[in-house]
Amino acid sequence: MSTTQQRLAAARGALATVQHRMGTREALPSWPVPERVAPALPDGLVRGRVTVVEGSTSLMTAVAASASADGAWIGVLGMPAFGAAAARWRGIDLSRLALVPQPGVQAAEVAGACVDALDVVLLGPSLALTDAARRRLAARARERGAAIVSAEQWSGAVATLTVVGSRWGGLGAGQGRLRSHVLDVRVVTRERPRLVQLALEVDDALPRSGHAYRRQDAARIDPRTAA
Amino acid sequence: MSAPVEIVRRAVVWVPDWPVAAAMAAQGIAIDAPVAIMHGHAVAVASAAARAAGVSRGQAKRRARRACPDLVLLPADRDRDERAFESVAAALEQVVSGVEISRPGMAVLPAEGAARFHGGEESLAEELASAVAEHTDHEASVGIADGLLAAVMAAREDLIVPPGQSRAFLRDHPVDALAYAAMDAGQVAQVTEMVEVLARLGLYRLGDLTALPYRDVLARFGAVGTWAHRLADGQDVKPPVLRRSLEDIAVSYAFETPSQGLEQLTFVASHLAQELDAALLEASSRCGRVRITAHTERGDTVERVWRTDVGSRAGAFARHMTDRVRWQMDGWLSGTSAGPERSPVTRLTLTAEDVVELGDEQAYLWGGSSGADARAHRGLEKVQALLGAEAVIQPREQGGRLPRDRVLLTAWGQEPEAARRTEHPWPGRIPDPPPATVPALEEPMQVLDAGGSEVVVDRRLRVSAPPTWVRLRLDPGHDSQHVSRRHPSHRGSGERTWGPLRPVDSWAGPWPVVERWWTPAGRRGAYLQIALAAEGEQSGRPASAPAAVLAGFSDGRWSLEGVYD
Repeated sequence: MSTTQQRLAAARGALATVQHRMGTREALPSWPVPERVAPALPDGLVRGRVTVVEGSTSLMTAVAASASADGAWIGVLGMPAFGAAAARWRGIDLSRLALVPQPGVQAAEVAGACVDALDVVLLGPSLALTDAARRRLAARARERGAAIVSAEQWSGAVATLTVVGSRWGGLGAGQGRLRSHVLDVRVVTRERPRLVQLALEVDDALPRSGHAYRRQDAARIDPRTAA
Repeated sequence: MSAPVEIVRRAVVWVPDWPVAAAMAAQGIAIDAPVAIMHGHAVAVASAAARAAGVSRGQAKRRARRACPDLVLLPADRDRDERAFESVAAALEQVVSGVEISRPGMAVLPAEGAARFHGGEESLAEELASAVAEHTDHEASVGIADGLLAAVMAAREDLIVPPGQSRAFLRDHPVDALAYAAMDAGQVAQVTEMVEVLARLGLYRLGDLTALPYRDVLARFGAVGTWAHRLADGQDVKPPVLRRSLEDIAVSYAFETPSQGLEQLTFVASHLAQELDAALLEASSRCGRVRITAHTERGDTVERVWRTDVGSRAGAFARHMTDRVRWQMDGWLSGTSAGPERSPVTRLTLTAEDVVELGDEQAYLWGGSSGADARAHRGLEKVQALLGAEAVIQPREQGGRLPRDRVLLTAWGQEPEAARRTEHPWPGRIPDPPPATVPALEEPMQVLDAGGSEVVVDRRLRVSAPPTWVRLRLDPGHDSQHVSRRHPSHRGSGERTWGPLRPVDSWAGPWPVVERWWTPAGRRGAYLQIALAAEGEQSGRPASAPAAVLAGFSDGRWSLEGVYD
């Protein structure tokens, strides 16, 4: 399955390159995205546009991770429970990350200031933004070249990623630990909507069966040794 | 501290009994009066006259008074010692360009270049001693030798030890001498302890110590032992640090009638900020941080350190600092940020720290602060101006076992208190990856077994039954379409209801985390990672429920520690 995915992504990438060269499609400047997210966003994180990521905070941070590694400043608005440790784990540089957990009624002004100043702005769900404010914000982002990643539907988004399924692997009945994370993502762009599978978390270091680990874990929670 | 470094020829300038000398100068006491500095109830340092009368270090107050009835007792004040020593350092800088102040009373400088410039080590020593005598009222002795300890001992004897002779010079000194090369209180305590052991082992002289194999000393005394061994051998443990930043510049305002009004505080702050700006300009310097201190009527202090905009000294400095005072005082007065109990402010102080000459500021290693960085800083400050300082948060990684502890959140632009180190192993940490969503406060949840009763983890980490069902608090964002238009402060207000029961797919744990159990803030809990079974396929709609959660069990209750979404 993953090989088919990869081949499809490679083919799409080749097509995009040819289209850029022939001038049949405008080339939008964009930030790179990590390899694991690339099947969903073959064009990268397009600057000056809105990308919607619905249903997964992990995917939102993953989308912004490569940009941060390349020196982008990232602002996170209206996500009071944003786990910065996870952001660090995904490769976001915390020294160029600012959180505004509760922008309140001034969300439009705050988002505007962030779009002016920062390179990537993540907008959480339930921000007090009217449709008019969203249009103004998008126009401002286009002018400044800032990429907006919204957790909510946004009309005119360059790509909409909706997580329709999310599975964690690595756990048993009292053993193991969370090791692999697979997301089913519905991608809507100007092209035909498609469903892709992203392996956001892959633990290559450990054997698949994990037999040794189970035994070890079982020994650890044995009440006799725990006492 | 263990790697040997190139041996540098150093000159040490030592002012004997510095705390006494500084205190006497500050109090205007004649130089021949018997004076003692008290630390607690014991004599810490005594002046020459007092020593002659029989007062000695460590003596109780009563005995010291009996030995010398005219004895003047003064309290210890490290700040005063450090402040007063600045004048000595300034005098030394008339002769040489770089001085390292190891501790108040002692300054170290590399001798080689300076001696060449002044025509020999004897004349350098003479220049240094006369500069101190001329520009200050103190008398200093100068010693020059290879290595730190030899130079310190040479200064105490006013000697110049020829190159290569340090080892022989130190050989006959008592091991107590090591304490003179220890620069801070913690190190002094360690060294004193080691010296006691050495004496009991029959090692009285430094020569006895250096005769021992290096490895044995390391095995018996650890890092302190190797430090002592190296120093006694006439070697160095670290190169001299030459950078000496300028003195902090402070401006302050004492309120005639203590004030609690934000308007008045802000008004005073704007004047103070302008005054500080002018003072910095006068000294043609720039500061890296500003410390804002407010003293209250109850004797508490409200203190914060703010980073200043690096790289620019635009006219906005005063306005920025006024804003920061307003944020700090507003947060404290309104009770939204932590601090001592509210009471009227008697004194407001702005201190410029990390003062460096304009033009020799230290930029980043790879290029200066870029335009994008400056733009981001300005933009975030604008957001702070809109919402208040605490509304923009900079996360930093720190050590910890739970996801919430692994991040230190501070207001943007504020210098954080020391973070717990990430390099430490943190055994028992909840395994990576960390959850992407971490509720700012613990949120209750239910973990139920097949029969619908709550799962319990006992002290021996036995799980009463395998968790089968999980119930989370319903987030209002999921059941209301209009929530995006609503004022966010409505979130959480009103009773939130429980969501539907979700079947557990698999789980792992429990992982025990027992921290600081010896303090009231201690915590004892067990943690489970729980993967939830997928809901029925809903095409096109976002997965509304999390796929995995981190559940914590503490004090008989389950709480949601993180969501892996």
